[in-house]
Amino acid sequence: MAGLAETFTATEHRLGNGLRVVLSEDHIDPVAAVCLWYDVGSRHERPGRTGLAHLFEHLMFQGSANVHGNQHFEFVQSAGGSLNGTTSFERTNYFETMPAHQVELALWLEADRMGGLLDALTQESLDNQRDVVKNERRQRYDNVPYGTAWERLVAMAFPAGHPYHHMPIGSMADLDATTLEDCREFFRTYYAPNNAVLTVVGDIDPEQTLAWIEKYFGTIPAHDGKPTPADGSLPPVIGAEVRETVYEDVPSRSLMAAYRLPVDGARESDAADLALTVLGEGESSRLNTRLVRRDELAVYAGLGIMRLVGAPSVALLDVKASGDAEIAAVDAAVDEELARFAADGPTPAELERAQAQIERGWLDRMATVGGRADELCRYATLFGDASLAFTALDRVLEISAEEVRAVAAERLIPVNRAVLVYELADESDNTDDPTDEHTDTDATDNAEGQAA
Amino acid sequence: MTQTTMVFHPRPGAGPEKPWTFPTPERTTLANGLSVLRVHRPGQRVVAVELLLDAPLDAEPEGLDGVATIMSRAFSEGTDTMDAETFAAELERCGATMDAGADHTGVQVALDVPASRLERALGLMADAVRAPAFPADEVDRLVRQRLDEIVHELASPARRAAIALYAELFDSATRISRPRAGSAESVARVTRDAVVDFFTTHVRPATGTLVVVGDLDGVDLDGILERTLGKWSGSDAPATEVVPAAADDTARVVIVHRAGSVQTQVLAGRLGPDRHDAVWPSLSIGTYCLGGTLTSRLDRVLREEKGYTYGIRALNQSLRSGALLAITGSVETDVTAPALADMVAVLKTLAAEGLHDDERDAAVQNLVGVAPLKYQTSRSVADSLADIVAQRLSDDYLPELYKRLAAVGTADASDAVVAGFDPGRLLIVLVGDAAQIREPLEGLGLGPVTVID
Repeated sequence: MAGLAETFTATEHRLGNGLRVVLSEDHIDPVAAVCLWYDVGSRHERPGRTGLAHLFEHLMFQGSANVHGNQHFEFVQSAGGSLNGTTSFERTNYFETMPAHQVELALWLEADRMGGLLDALTQESLDNQRDVVKNERRQRYDNVPYGTAWERLVAMAFPAGHPYHHMPIGSMADLDATTLEDCREFFRTYYAPNNAVLTVVGDIDPEQTLAWIEKYFGTIPAHDGKPTPADGSLPPVIGAEVRETVYEDVPSRSLMAAYRLPVDGARESDAADLALTVLGEGESSRLNTRLVRRDELAVYAGLGIMRLVGAPSVALLDVKASGDAEIAAVDAAVDEELARFAADGPTPAELERAQAQIERGWLDRMATVGGRADELCRYATLFGDASLAFTALDRVLEISAEEVRAVAAERLIPVNRAVLVYELADESDNTDDPTDEHTDTDATDNAEGQAA
Repeated sequence: MTQTTMVFHPRPGAGPEKPWTFPTPERTTLANGLSVLRVHRPGQRVVAVELLLDAPLDAEPEGLDGVATIMSRAFSEGTDTMDAETFAAELERCGATMDAGADHTGVQVALDVPASRLERALGLMADAVRAPAFPADEVDRLVRQRLDEIVHELASPARRAAIALYAELFDSATRISRPRAGSAESVARVTRDAVVDFFTTHVRPATGTLVVVGDLDGVDLDGILERTLGKWSGSDAPATEVVPAAADDTARVVIVHRAGSVQTQVLAGRLGPDRHDAVWPSLSIGTYCLGGTLTSRLDRVLREEKGYTYGIRALNQSLRSGALLAITGSVETDVTAPALADMVAVLKTLAAEGLHDDERDAAVQNLVGVAPLKYQTSRSVADSLADIVAQRLSDDYLPELYKRLAAVGTADASDAVVAGFDPGRLLIVLVGDAAQIREPLEGLGLGPVTVID
């Protein structure tokens, strides 16, 4: 099978104001994706203003100099396009997938808000979107079982004061405290052309597209006042297990954990991805085979990676206990499987399966123009070179079984994890902790509502 | 020289539109009677396969709700030549995923695999349906797992609302009134023998359809099919009968009490016409205007004006017979009654004034215009084709639907959505804290309010 780099190509450009542009042609379908990454995420937020990056993302859909109210949505959808924005620890992205003949409209819209958002920002839209975001938090975190698990684990794996200690959704109190001036200052600081990467992928004429980009974005002033984000580096290993047990009205007991992993971009992070795939992804993974199939301790057992660049990446363990199974038994089985893997590494068949699954994941992400645009933005923003997106899979496939074993032996160990245990509420005297927050493995938050 | 002010330009118009046609399937039939629909999608290196079996949920024996689900899951628990763990490992070695499930329209097995490994993966899928081992210990384990899963479903506000809505809306004697994958009581009765019986009675190639979508350039699909699913044999049988659905859409409110909920899950619905009805395109346009997106009527008020919700949507979703017309979302507990009052006010205004031409235009432009985006991947094309097969529509249904959507007039869309979402015929299910939300709801005139646990 041909590699991704033989199938896809991209070119990089830079405007006078510092906006980086990535273009990639593909004429199979008459569609094109416009994707814009701003190099700002929740790690850039200051104490007392958690959730600001994500709340701000919502405000980006509330109008700009020449776009009134909800017209951003209306124009794109009426052109037969789809759109959204998401906020993570490390970046905020905005994307429009358009019929090819409507690409210019998407570029105009993105330029209008990059250069003219403050012309339209009002207290009324802030108050409204603050309520929407608080309802997003209730829907995705506070009103569902285990809803705040990842938020708690992240806070345990990254110490207080660390830029990744809090999730992008933020706290209710900080959302309440956010002022219009906070939002204006945030925009002035981070929403600058020289702090963004714009990618256009699909059925485009690159020369024409670049001319449009120059026309619409070229006069937006550059801005250099961005403060350096707080240093997120940490020792590779936590040093001692951090453990918290909560008693809640949840459907079953649960053992969840976060392990510090190598920073994304390093060869070791790809090795870690392979290790986690063998251990915790898919029906034939070691944890599923042991805990779900053989011992029947769990109804679900999985391990996944959250890749981070400005801090250690994180391995997320999620086990939902079966029936009356005790956490001690689940814990012992997980430890045993991780220790056995750290000693022996993957078998050749396991490594082959993990490689095949990761390859499938890449083919899926490359199957749409939007998926490709997002990956190009990611590599350009976080690693300085968009075309690394097309060779990322090759780098994973080069990793040896010994590298996979070594990273597991170094990182997937009890002294390198934060553990969150859910016990059933009626088993404790102390039933309901009113300070409890409540779910999501996904560190990103969408601006558009997800209907059930 | 540094630029200090941005130069704004007028909003650009569209360029010349490029042609796009819905990928139309080619239909063939294997010697064993299995129908095959194939679509070549250049550049799509992951092939999406969907096998539809004419084994609908209403074919499950009395008291054994869930047997179709357990059977579909047990397909990947080993074959005549492979145990369950080997089977799973072989699939993953292909970089493939295989998921099977049972719905009211039948059992569906979905396979996604890179084109280069299509033959190996299709061989595994063929073995799974041709010669499943259904080992008793694995079936028993799947039953126990399903019982565990039910506990989690009941804790999910959205799932809990759906279970309650179907139970209230449909006659309890009909299969559709009960959870698709069975209840704790019925699933506990499922045994290997029950699975084998269901399989023997309902699974055969002659009544099945296989959908294959992807870049098939250089793929000898006919040869691959002959060497894999072509080896499956079975007797002939008539297609199962579709019983017309009936529902009780008396206006009423049912609160599923969930103490301490910080939001109320709303699911308001009734039975409406399905895709076979000529009104479907108009209903689809009208439903989009009501609640298809953030700028539709419901979110314009409930989200963008009031901030009561992260998002509320209206949908028309085909069932085996008829369609569920529903409004769904979650609202903050404190504003449950005002949010429902606003929802009803939106429906009444719509009934009194109808839709505007610009709303209809935006809906048509979006629903028709997004087709090339929506159908980029093999999986999205396969899913849509599987739906039209499951609903027994013609192979050219989708391209025809897009033509009909484009031709829907404002008045027709208005009439369809107003008739469909009549607030006087809506069953409103709320999952939330009854102690907080019940009383303020009583005065809204939404029909009798009852609370269940």
